[in-house]
Amino acid sequence: MTRPAEDRTVLDAVRRGDQRSLEELYRRHSPRLYALLLRMLRETADAEEVLQETFIDAWRRAGEYSASRGSVEAWLITIARSRAIDRIRNRGARLRLVKQSEQLATADAPQPEPPDVHAQTRLRKALGTLPPEQRRALELAYWDGLSQSEISRETGDPLGTVKTRVRLGLQRLAELLAG
Amino acid sequence: MTHQEFLDQVDAYALGALEPTEARVLEQHLAGEGPHPLCEAALARARETVATLAADLRPVSPPPRVWEGIASAIARGQEPASRAPELPSTPAPAREAVRALRPIPPWTYSIAAAAVVILVLGGINVRDARRSAAQASAAAAECAKDLAEARIDVLRKDDALQLLQEPGTQLVSLKPSPPGPGPSAPGTGVVLFNPRGRALFVGKSFQAQATRDYELWIIRDGRPIAAGLLPPGPDGRVFSEVRPDVLTGGRPAAFAVSVEPKGGERDAPKGPIILTGAVAAP
Repeated sequence: MTRPAEDRTVLDAVRRGDQRSLEELYRRHSPRLYALLLRMLRETADAEEVLQETFIDAWRRAGEYSASRGSVEAWLITIARSRAIDRIRNRGARLRLVKQSEQLATADAPQPEPPDVHAQTRLRKALGTLPPEQRRALELAYWDGLSQSEISRETGDPLGTVKTRVRLGLQRLAELLAG
Repeated sequence: MTHQEFLDQVDAYALGALEPTEARVLEQHLAGEGPHPLCEAALARARETVATLAADLRPVSPPPRVWEGIASAIARGQEPASRAPELPSTPAPAREAVRALRPIPPWTYSIAAAAVVILVLGGINVRDARRSAAQASAAAAECAKDLAEARIDVLRKDDALQLLQEPGTQLVSLKPSPPGPGPSAPGTGVVLFNPRGRALFVGKSFQAQATRDYELWIIRDGRPIAAGLLPPGPDGRVFSEVRPDVLTGGRPAAFAVSVEPKGGERDAPKGPIILTGAVAAP
């Protein structure tokens, strides 16, 4: 059984109320989600809290997962990013200020695990082929949680241009990663 | 919304780059009368691509307290709900459950550690009064200094946050000037600018110099106006309120930082301009 298929089986059990399966789902996916949240939120306490919210959400909303809309991993990442973006937007511009003045409490950041080198190399190669402005737009949206309107204000580029960059950038990335 | 309109926006949706109201329109489209095989396939593809962007990260194991908090919240009766709505674009009730489980902030450990240090030093005091008195005194002084610096830091941050929350405040990033190869700027900075007459410079990695000062300038109508010196702290950080009197003559076109002889210049920068940043049009 492939990993995505195993994930679906585990999530089916979660849907039936099996807490051990939720723990298994957590064991499988929490390290990557936690790394993602640390990178987005830059604060250990916030990352831990959003990680908790993500799995409580997954527990409560397992029934709405639809395989036709993506893998379980993509679903969990969507939940985690959605909550992280909520938090970033609630902070207003605080994160950007804090990032720029390096006032962030990352000193106690936990030790990372060995990376998936193959996936990293593939992604970096794909990102490297994107035009810089498309890559920048994707990065601002992905890591900083900026909306297209906010990217437009941040970069000074027209909103329509930003929308085109986000769409073309992600589509190009999908083609490169699939190829 | 048509299928084509959905397809045009699905990438931004998957990336979380739509405004909440825009996202809701897409969610309503999917929830509406279907089927939507093309839309769902496009969403799946976009979500997988977005998920792949996290592949560049080294996985990090969360501390055990995170799972313990989840297990505890579930034990309090948060059963799976099979007909919950689609992903929220506003904070969901789970946050309330987690708030009570919020991890202890790192600074709490620092204070606890300081308390332990003081207690330990107190213990030594019983055994060796003379040596420990000096150690305790030094430790207390160090603690007091750290606490004072931390308090100043918090006040400055609060000040900056307050300004950021005021309507109209914009963040002006100051970039090295001139761009490109050449000697790099000794620090980086940002100005929180509110057109109603307040501005705050926040910088990092500035090195104090014995014979030179960093000076902030406002550029308005093509002319520089001295806006105050930027003294770095011992850690190289700068928090400096811009002189309010220089903010009253109209919207600045840009901010700049120069390096000047001690005391700064009054009329125009004579030293090198190291950082500049344009103020966005209203």
